[in-house]
Amino acid sequence: MQFDLDEDRALLKTSTREFLEKESAVADARAVMEETPEGYSKALYHQLGELGYPGILQSEDDGGMGPLAFVAVMHEMGRVAFPGPFLELAVAARALGACEGDVAAAWQAKAAAGEALVVLASAEGTASADPTVPTATFDGTKVTGTKTFVPTGEFADALLVETTAGLVLVERPGAGWNARRLTTIDHTQRFAEITLDDPGALVADPARAADVLADARRCGALGASAAILGLMERALELAIEYTMERQAFGAPLASFQALQHRAADMLGRTESTRSAVYRAGWALETGQDNADYLVSVAKAFAGPAARSVCGEAIQFHGGVGFTWEYEPHIYLKRVKTLELFHGSTRYHTEVAYNALA
Amino acid sequence: MDLQFTPEQEAFRQEIRTWLAANLDRPWNEEVRDPKHDADSLVEVRRQWQKKLNAAGYLAMGWAPEWGGRGAGEVEDAILQEEFHRADAPQVPNFLGISLLGPALIHHGTEAQRQRFIPKMLECEEIWCQGFSEPGSGSDLASLRTRAEPDGDDFRITGQKVWTTFGPWSNWIFVLARTDMEDRYGGISFFLMPLEQEGVEVRELRQITGEAEFGEVFFDGALAKRENIVGEIGEGWKVAMTLLGYERGGSTLAYPAEYDGYLQGLRAGAEEAGIADRADVREKIGRLVVENEVLRGNGIRTLANFAAGNPPGPESSFEKIGWSEYAQRLTDASHDILGPQAQLTAQSPRARADVDWAYQYLWSRAGTIYSGSSEIQRNIIAKRVLRMPTR
Repeated sequence: MQFDLDEDRALLKTSTREFLEKESAVADARAVMEETPEGYSKALYHQLGELGYPGILQSEDDGGMGPLAFVAVMHEMGRVAFPGPFLELAVAARALGACEGDVAAAWQAKAAAGEALVVLASAEGTASADPTVPTATFDGTKVTGTKTFVPTGEFADALLVETTAGLVLVERPGAGWNARRLTTIDHTQRFAEITLDDPGALVADPARAADVLADARRCGALGASAAILGLMERALELAIEYTMERQAFGAPLASFQALQHRAADMLGRTESTRSAVYRAGWALETGQDNADYLVSVAKAFAGPAARSVCGEAIQFHGGVGFTWEYEPHIYLKRVKTLELFHGSTRYHTEVAYNALA
Repeated sequence: MDLQFTPEQEAFRQEIRTWLAANLDRPWNEEVRDPKHDADSLVEVRRQWQKKLNAAGYLAMGWAPEWGGRGAGEVEDAILQEEFHRADAPQVPNFLGISLLGPALIHHGTEAQRQRFIPKMLECEEIWCQGFSEPGSGSDLASLRTRAEPDGDDFRITGQKVWTTFGPWSNWIFVLARTDMEDRYGGISFFLMPLEQEGVEVRELRQITGEAEFGEVFFDGALAKRENIVGEIGEGWKVAMTLLGYERGGSTLAYPAEYDGYLQGLRAGAEEAGIADRADVREKIGRLVVENEVLRGNGIRTLANFAAGNPPGPESSFEKIGWSEYAQRLTDASHDILGPQAQLTAQSPRARADVDWAYQYLWSRAGTIYSGSSEIQRNIIAKRVLRMPTR
């Protein structure tokens, strides 16, 4: 038995960290998040594409590295609150690979290479982003319906749309999407509501779509959990660093037991999340029978645990923690949003209940 | 990364299951409800169980073969404990001897001490209890005041020990006492003493569960022989620290396996009550399933670190907080979900037969206090893992 990553994946993790800390340190990435329309650096995504990152969830034969490597990468992206739809792009690239036909294959290649932004458009309404029966339709040529919380939807080159007829690939129309920005608290994402009345190509019939979506959701939940782990890990570091420096009553804040015990709990939540997330990644990688369940456990645990750690990180900072300038709020916001997507805490908790024999 | 047990370890798990199926008459939960039993006869069941385990070679598996073990590793020990907890096997009466004193004797004892004490400990001819805590010294153990005064070559012990688990059924005790009243750590020595002697009185101490599983021990000039000091005079603290290091071994997978059974009982109870379709009930139980699975994940990680020869990771430092506080959430939830039936004590009419919720609810209050309270655990994590400074 061995909990540590093997050499290849450990190397990938280290080089990803170095790359992201150099190219997308939070202090620099904030300008991108806050001031560009799409909220992420297209140039950086292009670079990631050249390095093969968006195709990481492909099988090794197709140039990917599999779920555990994906966990390592998402973990690092969480640490810098990496802006943009990387998670969704990697999941869509994998989903397209499991679809049928030339259209899917062509977009799969472009997505995996980072040359095109393709994302799943699944949610409808604003009350929940959990899996549900779609109402969007496809009549053989045209997709009709409204999709919500489409990640970076306004800027996508193509959407993989969940409809009653299965999965349909819709290319960005010449005039652009009929989209409205759904502005959330999360700085790192640009969600859109997209009303579709556009030509598309069926790439998975309902039976195949069910499998493709199940796999995509599993990978999405795993990647989101890993990102949450990175976010909380970094928020904890920020909190501890601050309490070591900040003096009050003639001593560093970190010397007060009122904070020490809470910091111990923050560590417990973070390390427990690490155990759960990597275990789930390993289970999916190696095809364990309970992989689905372990992914749900990781996602159901990570969200509330990270929300608590990131909230405490703000509290540990005191007044400056409530300012736009300091970083903890970026982490709390990203975590809180991730908790509601890729299967909400409630959704994955229900999976865990149903697994109880 | 590899979290798979080896084929040999899986085979060992099968061996344990087969052995349990053939040797465990009934789960402990059924044993304790049998009206023929009283506290003494239940201890006798446990004594017989220990003898069986010893004969089968499962009692102190991690010890070297010369001391009755099989030199098994942490993973095998964890698998054994997991299967025993899953099967709800009785706890052996000499658990303090086996899990604490035995390893300390193997580590720090003399050859004569090992020869004298270990075989009888394994055979349950002598049952051991632990004389560490005092009325004025709990978490701050090094503040203990029990005195050891020289009497020729030997010592006379005077003082009071408390929370002495299994004291009422024990005949030997390992005691920390002061050979120097001033030197906080270096003044403590580690004595092995028979309880059946002049100057020792053991009183039962009734717990919130109503049982008197632990006691108080009063020493008034009781004899502690020089040959029964473990380590040198003044090395008691060091010996105690070695021994407490063994205290948390083996339980890594055991508690999650035990809690699996409770969770199944919770769901069964909710289904019988016709409330299993309620969202709040499903969410509450589902949340507990998630948390228990995360505890298991931490345990597997700890074992993987052991197996790979790595030092214990940060996850191992909150293992105790994890399972002990979880037990409180779980048993609390049992009352919310099952209602007043969860309060019915084991012998009461209409008590649920699958889990003794009332007892578990009360017993869960102990886990966050004994063997390093949750507060002490958090101090340790803050200081040793997060490196936060002391005031």
